[in-house]
Amino acid sequence: MKITFKLNGENVSIEVESYKRLIDMLREDFELTGTKEGCSIGECGACTVLMDGKAVNSCLVLAAQIDGAEILTIEGVNQGNNLSDLQRNFLTHGAVQCGFCTPGMILSSLALLNENPNPTVEEIEESIAGNLCRCTGYKQIIEAVKATAEMSNQKLRNQSA
Amino acid sequence: MIPELKILRPEKLIDLLDLIAPADGATRILAGGTDIIPGFHINSKRFSSIRKLVETVKIPEMHEIKEEDDSVIIGSSVTFSELINSELINTYFPLLVKAVSKIGSVQIRNRATIAGNFVNNAPCADSVPPLLVYNAEVEIANKNSTRKVLLNDFLEKPYKTQLKDSECVVRIILKKIDKTFTGDFYKLGRRRGVAISRITLAVILKKENNIIKDIRIASGAVTPIGMRFTELENDLIGKEITPELLVSSSQKLGKNVLDVTGLRWSSVYKVPVIQRTFYNLLENICLD
Repeated sequence: MKITFKLNGENVSIEVESYKRLIDMLREDFELTGTKEGCSIGECGACTVLMDGKAVNSCLVLAAQIDGAEILTIEGVNQGNNLSDLQRNFLTHGAVQCGFCTPGMILSSLALLNENPNPTVEEIEESIAGNLCRCTGYKQIIEAVKATAEMSNQKLRNQSA
Repeated sequence: MIPELKILRPEKLIDLLDLIAPADGATRILAGGTDIIPGFHINSKRFSSIRKLVETVKIPEMHEIKEEDDSVIIGSSVTFSELINSELINTYFPLLVKAVSKIGSVQIRNRATIAGNFVNNAPCADSVPPLLVYNAEVEIANKNSTRKVLLNDFLEKPYKTQLKDSECVVRIILKKIDKTFTGDFYKLGRRRGVAISRITLAVILKKENNIIKDIRIASGAVTPIGMRFTELENDLIGKEITPELLVSSSQKLGKNVLDVTGLRWSSVYKVPVIQRTFYNLLENICLD
């Protein structure tokens, strides 16, 4: 079936098989392999993407269900050739080890920061409770998100000063 | 594997009802999909006959939460995230917010819907115990007519409800309850996030001068489906709240659960936990 949607800011149309999930279409048809498949049943969060600004598991959405929606994958998070502050903070805070959970972690925390620019540690923990990381122990990830929130608030203060 | 499917997205309720009217056994309503899609993926027999999915996403009345004089109407495809963010639901039905806040993860709550949860009717459907204590009514439509039924009667057994293939749950009706009710919800899972419930309990209570005027108790996960304990409720109405009453009613609840489930390998753990949980809930509510 034919679907039309916005992918990382660009309008796209594609003829997609009805049995494909969003993750299959992203990886196979668009070759956006930053979105990872872990558990395939909505428990690990490695396949998290944003659908109309909200974090969803792309293994729990059929490609046909995103007709008309806006999808953001990890490939659309960077700003031009530069990493976003959130991505850079993941690196500087040691929040990336094996890297398999990282795209999902970044998209879950990006959805949080877009809705809530001043999250508490508890709110950060809740936002990534659906993303498993077996390397870092989460502490570095939470620090990276916190640091990003502080940076963007500092930028806002500088702009208004 | 996910089969070859026909996926339809009607924009009007009447069109959806037309599409499901043949009741061919191969057509299923898709309201979120967080059970059906992984169910296909793991070749679950429950979904193996499906060849056509009819999505509810474009039908406006299935996504509304609105206030009427004495009730709040929840569209059947309202997501858990939408419930959590609804001022109306927070004001009138706080146990529902508390219960659905603990379902899955942000990602799941952004997709999963209220009717999807109880039509699937897994024993661990966390929206069910609070909906039962609030005496939720379900409005069901087919091509020709509409009927209303109490959720308590709608739920038949694990993964089975009254819903026929030609029918769709359109709305959930919750009567606003008397402001003097207090209540609480408890979930026990093996971890905090993305955890299948092992035990859930929802209790609301109204008291006057330390006498129980009304009480409603519902369990989930620990019983085959979410259920009310009306015998125990009736037994408690009119009684004075004393420490002894809290102990004896907790013991009775444990026995009632055993009567429903029979003795299982896990009973030796679960029964004392249910009793203690219920005691703690009652104690907190009664201290309010």
